[in-house]
Amino acid sequence: MMDVKENLQDIFRRIFDDDSILLFDEMTADDIEDWDSLMHIDLILEIEKVFSIKFTTEEVLKTSNVGEFIRLIENKI
Amino acid sequence: MENNSLIIRQARKYAKHKSVANSKNLRIAVIGSYSTQHISMVLKYLLHEECIETDIYEGQYNGIAMDVLDKSSDLYMFKPDIVIVFPYHEDIHAYPDVLETQDKVERRINLEVDYYKKIWSNLSENEGVHIIQTNFVIPPLRQYGNMEKKLWYSASSFLTVLNQRILMECPANVTIVDLDEFASDVGKYNWFDYSAYFLYKLGFKMDYLPEVCKLLVRQILVMQGKTRKCLVLDLDNTVWGGIIGDDGCEGIRLDPNDAVGEAYRFFQKYILSLKNRGVILAVCSKNEESIAKTPFEKNKNMILKLDDIACFVANWDDKVQNLRRIAEKLNIGLDSMVFFDDNPAERKLVHDFLPMVHVVDVPEDPAYYAIQIEKESPFEWQQLTQEDVIRNTDYNSNEKREKLRESIVDYDVYLRALEMKGRVCVLSTEYVQRFTQLINKSNQFNVRTIRYSETDILKYIHDQNYKCLYSELEDKFGNHGLISCVILRREGADAFIDTWVMSCRVLKRGVEEMMFEQVLEEIKKWGCETLYAEYIETNKNALVRHLYDQFGFLQISSDEEAKSIMYRLTDFKFTGAYNITKI
Repeated sequence: MMDVKENLQDIFRRIFDDDSILLFDEMTADDIEDWDSLMHIDLILEIEKVFSIKFTTEEVLKTSNVGEFIRLIENKI
Repeated sequence: MENNSLIIRQARKYAKHKSVANSKNLRIAVIGSYSTQHISMVLKYLLHEECIETDIYEGQYNGIAMDVLDKSSDLYMFKPDIVIVFPYHEDIHAYPDVLETQDKVERRINLEVDYYKKIWSNLSENEGVHIIQTNFVIPPLRQYGNMEKKLWYSASSFLTVLNQRILMECPANVTIVDLDEFASDVGKYNWFDYSAYFLYKLGFKMDYLPEVCKLLVRQILVMQGKTRKCLVLDLDNTVWGGIIGDDGCEGIRLDPNDAVGEAYRFFQKYILSLKNRGVILAVCSKNEESIAKTPFEKNKNMILKLDDIACFVANWDDKVQNLRRIAEKLNIGLDSMVFFDDNPAERKLVHDFLPMVHVVDVPEDPAYYAIQIEKESPFEWQQLTQEDVIRNTDYNSNEKREKLRESIVDYDVYLRALEMKGRVCVLSTEYVQRFTQLINKSNQFNVRTIRYSETDILKYIHDQNYKCLYSELEDKFGNHGLISCVILRREGADAFIDTWVMSCRVLKRGVEEMMFEQVLEEIKKWGCETLYAEYIETNKNALVRHLYDQFGFLQISSDEEAKSIMYRLTDFKFTGAYNITKI
């Protein structure tokens, strides 16, 4: 099983173009300066693409921090 | 698809750069019924790649009406050159009811059309604005099943008719982009991303964002006068299968009973249809010329004939040099060429050394040649006129003119032998489209390179302080059609040559003189005392750098920074001569 956190971190670094990003479970949009709504869309779509999964509308709405994302992805792959 | 996410990533990076404010930037407003932020971001990046810097105004979500109908909105303060409008099928105020009468449905459609007319007319109050609007993408929801298209009150029928009405009734400064067709090509189930619409108001799946932006970029380039008009073809394994030098005239694959031969014939048919709509065809092949021509002359399965090719170059020189030759011979810019060659090495060479040439990414299988050109759509034009269609016969007549010229030593004798007939006319409404097109695509013989829309020109026709003149020319080999335009402006006792363009196909045939003589006539009719003119240098119009010196103008000032030279003329006596019989 691939390391979801590591993969997710790569995605974050690529999307935000910042190699210093270190993910932690409680991390939210407030912790990354560029994490606005536009970036959020890019992030979700990129995660779906990389992990070949599709979030339901409800899941996207409810997921609020990185830890929840990781668990959600782990449940889907 | 990989390439697409790369484009989005680069666009995102580019968006972080602070753009440099510059009054020369193209001002684009993007407004839509769905989220357009991503579109603006990618559009800005792709235009930057085409060397067009932009300032972009972003509309509010659900902002078409809010932005446009409120004339004190930021949109109007922004003063856009181009407004891009993205409607969405959910904008429709009320879809027809089940079993509604045809009359009633039509009234609903009229209401929607009127709504857009109002939007266009409001936006057009900004002088010279051009509007690009996508049509409605008809969603794959067919409540009536197979009856959907038959029933006029179905949503699909309603949107189909509305799309058609908008297309037919929009004014000249509105370009409708066929987004519905694009969505159909990729498949409607793929196109719509319902979850992303409910969550973020994305109007279509992000995967298609770069492609959609490319559609728009192509339209914007066309508005900037950047159109391509010549298709340069390789021969072996491009126009036919096999190598003519090895396989011989009957050995090359073109037989309709052979699947591969059929693929090449299909491609030839497609090319011929491009030629018939005005694309100039040229051949650039590494071959002995006489051998390369034999299939055109003798192979009965060839669809293209020698007469279809405006310029035939077959030799052993490198293709970069040959493309330059073709450009020179046809008197067109390299940036109006599209290069089609099955050999990746040749494509790379042309791409590297002539980056302004559009190099088609030719697939391995000839069965997909035509569809690849379709996908890249390099021949996107704003309109099609008589001139485009007759131009091809004109190039063929050019060969005959060349032969005549070679047989006559004296240029004047040659000009007389051409038996040219021409005229200069004041522009009337029926020629506005052709007039505007010539102004917008002329780069070489163009003294100021100011572009105008049909709406502008229509206004000038009815303005007493403007005069629009055009020339037509024919000779014993054919008709050139409308080949030169002038716009004159009067300010009291002063007159100014605002625009003077001419097609380079008729350079040094006397049209310049004939036109200028008429300009002087018009100035005299106006009773003006001084005629001013200006030359603004671009990297393409060195040809006319001394045009005004030649006509006796006095240079009065020059502006290094604006690269312009002002001229004055007070003696209106025409002293030139030309060999064109006035008709």
